[in-house]
Order: sequence, then structure tokens, then C-alpha cells
Amino acid sequence: MRRIVSIATIAATLVFGIANLGAGHGTFAQNAQTKTAATEISIDNFSFGPTALTVAAGTEVTWTNRDDIPHTVVSTDDPKAFKSKVLDTNEKFSFTFTKPGTYSYFCSLHPKMTGKVIVQ
Amino acid sequence: MSETKIITKQNEMLHDHNRDGVNRRGFLKCMAWAGTGAFWVIKGGVLKSYSLSRLSEIGPAESAGELSFVQISDSHMGFNKAANTDVAGTLQIAVDKINNLSATPEFILHTGDISHLSKPEEFDAVGQILKGAKPQDVFYVPGEHDVLNDDGKQFLERYGKNSHGAGWYSFEKKGVHFIGLVNVLDLKAGGLGTLGHEQLEWLENDVKHLKHSTPIVVFAHIPLWTVYPQWGWGTEDSAQALAYLKKFGSVTVLNGHIHQTMQKVEGNITFHTAASTAFPQPAPGAADSPGPMKVPAEQLRSVLGITDVNYVQGHHALAVVDSTLA
Repeated sequence: MRRIVSIATIAATLVFGIANLGAGHGTFAQNAQTKTAATEISIDNFSFGPTALTVAAGTEVTWTNRDDIPHTVVSTDDPKAFKSKVLDTNEKFSFTFTKPGTYSYFCSLHPKMTGKVIVQ
Repeated sequence: MSETKIITKQNEMLHDHNRDGVNRRGFLKCMAWAGTGAFWVIKGGVLKSYSLSRLSEIGPAESAGELSFVQISDSHMGFNKAANTDVAGTLQIAVDKINNLSATPEFILHTGDISHLSKPEEFDAVGQILKGAKPQDVFYVPGEHDVLNDDGKQFLERYGKNSHGAGWYSFEKKGVHFIGLVNVLDLKAGGLGTLGHEQLEWLENDVKHLKHSTPIVVFAHIPLWTVYPQWGWGTEDSAQALAYLKKFGSVTVLNGHIHQTMQKVEGNITFHTAASTAFPQPAPGAADSPGPMKVPAEQLRSVLGITDVNYVQGHHALAVVDSTLA
């Protein structure tokens, strides 16, 4: 029963998100607080996209490096919540977020590259 | 007037992209932007530099001096994308250029990113190619690509036998004090390169006993001056390191990382960055990101022509800085 409820919540979230975008809330997208069930983060042109991703607890998030240069995905928490090996072009890293919270991370090779995952 | 410094370009950034006049046919043979390094001569205590891409201009007179050495950087062994599918070949060209110098340099400095992915075979390949260079001594500092996955453990095992901490060290050659620093470890989110407290403390002690007239050469991977912080091209705590070097008459700082030659003079300190032997990167802010620049052979000349804005002092690729050390 709980599972059904959580799926419904995600669906509602999606509808809410799309409705919001449709209503012309441009800043919604600009804030990159994309509140969808998307679990993919692309590393492209020395940046994480989306920069901030909101997911439900239990979601597996996968980063894919699309650059010609290797990158990493490293939590800024102490101790680190997650830390990838170096990702060469087209390599992926996945992590399942089980606990709600805000997880900031960066590329330890290019520390100007930062992002966060918000788990609800 | 025992200390006279003639510095013509105060606090000015000088760009050079090695205007070589390479035609399409000669491109692969020369790869002038790629197989480059800097040849350094110390004469009368004055450090002068020449680009290896303009080899014909380094004659016996230019290479005569108390000490000469070569800086190469960013060989990125293992990189195989469009910007350069043959990084071993372009490193070999750099070695050939070194071997064609009229006077054999004393040693080679490699300012990091030896490998692309810290793989043992990548380090081995660079070692193998550099074995073919006439100067047999090679002094390394790590780039961020050399310390992947293991916080620099492998780098230390391979190159750090006589080093301190994460791999920093100093040595003397013919009265010149050389200092190799490590600024690619333990980088913080949103930040720049970092030297760290322990290394800074070591540096302070390392130079404490030296005479003010001792020429100092510092080499590290990420620039020790702020080239372009938006792309992380700088070092957080370099000001502290440079403060320890203020008392010296001549300080030269050699870096890599940004895959292009630049120079800046600030008081007694001259900063240089070396080109990569592997692939060029865009000038600061000239692109969305600092990713590799793909330069097709037929466009090479035009690209170099556009970025070749502040060509320095006649035919030397890097400006000559006149400063006496008396």
C-alpha cells in the first residue's frame, strides 16, 4: 500500500511540475530545481545538468560523463555520502539515495563544477 | 644600484600561441602547438626562455649559459579524443626537439598531467618516451590527472622518492634553487588549486636559509597566479607561498594545466605557463568551458592567428625578463 501511495505522489509531483511549466513559470526551470522523477544527471561542458535534482527517497541517480575530459562525482559531506571513481567519456556512476536531505557534490578534478541532489 | 631590475611588462598578461607558420602539409610533422615545451637558460644569473616550437632560433649563442633546462607539460598520455589521437606521437616530437638543441639541457621539468587517467601503463609510456631524451634527469610534479582514485599514492611511489608530504621537494643546480610544489590534491568544492598548511610550512623553512641573491624557480601544475578563477585556473593559497619568496631578487614560477603559454610579471616574480604536449585549451573565457580545443589541420593557422594577440618581444615565444640578481 505504501508503495502505491509513493508512486501516486511522484505522479502528482510530475503533473504539478508540468502544470507549473505550462503556466509559464520560467524561473521554475531556471532554478534548475527540477522536481521530476528523472534520475539522470549529465556531465556536459564542465557542468552537471541539472545542477539541482529533486528525487524521492529510494531513487537511484545516474551520472553520465559526456565530456572529452574525465570527471568525478564526489559528495561534499563529511564523511562523504558517495564518491565515484574517475569517469572517462561515457562512463557512468550510480548512487541510490535512501535518506531525505540535501546532498551537495562536486568534481574533485574541476572543483568549480558543483551540483546537488535533494531527496524528499 | 646593486639590484637593478628592468621589467618592461609590469602586471600585464602576455599571450602567445606560438605563431609558427606551419602549413597543412607540415602540420602532422611539426604539430607546433602540441609538441612544445620551453627551453630555459640561466646566463649571468638571468633566466631566459625560448619556445621549442621555434627551435631554429635557439642557436649556440642562445643556449650558452651556466645552466639550461627544458619544461614540458600536460602530456596526458592515454587521451585519444578528436583534439589529438596521438599524444604519444606529439610527446615524441617534443623529445626530438629537445634532442635537436645545440646544447643538451641539464634536465627536464614536467609540470604535471603526465597521464590522462593515472593508469600505470600511461606513466610507463611517458617514461619510455622520455628515456629517449638526451637529458636523463626528469623532475615531475603531479597534475590532477596523475592522482586519480588513490589520492596520489601511485604518483608518490613512482616519482616521490626524495620528496616530502604529498610529493613536494627542492633541489639545487648550479646555484639555482628549484622547488617542486603539489597543488592538485584535496581540492574543495567551488575552489581552486590548494597547497595546504603542511606544504606552506615546509616551503617557509625550505627557503629560510637561502641568500636573497639565490635565483628561485618554483614549478607546480596549476598556476600559482590567478589566471581565470571561473575555470579554476589559480591556487587558493598561493599568496602565502609567494609571500615567502618576496625577499628574493629573482623568482620564476613555472606552471602547466591551462595548455597554453602565458606570462605575467609581478615585482620580482615572473610567472609562466607552458603549452601542453597533447592538446590546446581555449583562452580564458573564450569558450563555454575549458575543454580540449579541436583544431583541424586546415584551420590551425587561422585559429592561431586569431588568438595570437599580444605577441611578445620580437621572436621569443615567451618574453625575456631582464633582471639582475646582484
